[in-house]
Amino acid sequence: MTYAADAKLRPAEGTDHTESSKWRSRGISLAILGLAITTIAFFGNLVSVGQSGADQASTLAWTFGVTTTGFALTKTAIAVVLWGIILKLWLRADSIKHSLPKLVGTPGADSTPLGVIDTPFGKVAVADEAPGPLPIHKMAKKLFRPMVAMGLMTVVIGLIVSFVAAGTAPNISALAWMQGLQFLGEGMLLSGIAFMLGTILWAIRTAGGEVQESLGVKVYTPKMPGLAKGFVALMMLGLMVSIAQFIGYVVVAGSSDPASAFAWLGPFREFGLGLILAGITLSLVAIGKVLAFQFWRVQNLIKNGERS
Amino acid sequence: MTTSTATTSTDFPIDVSKKGLGFNKPQQMGRKLWGPMWVMSIMAFPIALVLGIVRANAIAGGESEATIAALGHTTTGIMFIGFTAVFAAISFAIAGILGEFRKGGGETQELVSSEVRTLKMAPTAKILILGMAMGMMTLLIASIVHLVVAAQVSSGSLSLAGAETAAINLEAVRRLGVAVYLVAITFGLATIIRVLRFQAIRLRELV
Repeated sequence: MTYAADAKLRPAEGTDHTESSKWRSRGISLAILGLAITTIAFFGNLVSVGQSGADQASTLAWTFGVTTTGFALTKTAIAVVLWGIILKLWLRADSIKHSLPKLVGTPGADSTPLGVIDTPFGKVAVADEAPGPLPIHKMAKKLFRPMVAMGLMTVVIGLIVSFVAAGTAPNISALAWMQGLQFLGEGMLLSGIAFMLGTILWAIRTAGGEVQESLGVKVYTPKMPGLAKGFVALMMLGLMVSIAQFIGYVVVAGSSDPASAFAWLGPFREFGLGLILAGITLSLVAIGKVLAFQFWRVQNLIKNGERS
Repeated sequence: MTTSTATTSTDFPIDVSKKGLGFNKPQQMGRKLWGPMWVMSIMAFPIALVLGIVRANAIAGGESEATIAALGHTTTGIMFIGFTAVFAAISFAIAGILGEFRKGGGETQELVSSEVRTLKMAPTAKILILGMAMGMMTLLIASIVHLVVAAQVSSGSLSLAGAETAAINLEAVRRLGVAVYLVAITFGLATIIRVLRFQAIRLRELV
């Protein structure tokens, strides 16, 4: 394996491509744990209907904290599985590198000019060398780990605050901090997931370029599609909303009558998460399109090769 | 032999055919439906936000408690129609990715081998479909009940206390629906790891 790509973002030298992924099983276990925790809070919520006054306020406070923590664990599980995908993508690329020269034989002549061409999969750059990462790839690679870690920590701090709110109910200030912190954490976790998807797009692009380069053919790389641009815009906007809602809750924490502010901050914080999720959808669709392009390219190389 | 110790493609549960099998039904559906779901979500989120602001103004302006409660249920109902749609879009997009692997892998094998080996639908993929259906139904029903409660409290056929009780119960149901959806998505992504492993093994068998 001789990828120029970051060593920390690919499997260790000599990793067996037939091995099952430990990240897959860890991710699934963590997701089930998250669901179990959310289910405990679900029953707590139902019990709170039979309560009143401070007792009900207390139950609603801790169930909020526990539920959001369950969500955060499941999102962390998604991040763990995505990490497993990144590692397996490289191992699959290794297999392509191993087999493609024999499947192609001597590559067929390619008269396509260098530059940008149109393909059934959109605009594609044709070059002699594998392209470097785009600015968004560089950012995604650097930021996915800190975002996931900080997001999880922020949610856990919010969980502790929810226990404080439950023990001192009704405590408006603690409730405001709890909601602000936990939704900031959720926003950061989702952004971390979005950055991991950006890293997957980078891995597919880089591996694809290096496979073609190693074969001695022109390197075809899809231009950044509109889907990916929309993904970045929605994710950034959603993260900004998540930060803004946190500031909003901190301001409200000092207020004696927060009912009006709580009425718009609730939908506002959910709006932020919704935007990030909409961005994540676009990145997944972009991954599908890039994969389709790569299969098309590999099949063309095989069809045009001397072995065919 | 279990797939966790698989070293050849035949150690996986596979279909063997002469030609690539292309997209299966859920993958075809995923490719068609992610877009409409995405559009629905991106419309619902801002509408719910605006309704939340209207409700905040109603509270500040001293509107009737029934109006405020109805607006609260309407806001949450529409917001969670948005979440239902966006989670569905994500699930469909994952199905689309799995489809690209299945179609592309089959076509590539067809070019170089007399035998096309295609993974059977993995249990994790079935859990994705089942979890998505359960999460979607849970969230959708909760959202519709929110809108019904809003209409009832607005017309006076439901008391404020009843509306408050409904809000607490529906919140619990919604949260469970979101958790089920997230777990389903985790299983869908886990299926991609399995497909990548299968393809890494199968590719080396072709030479």
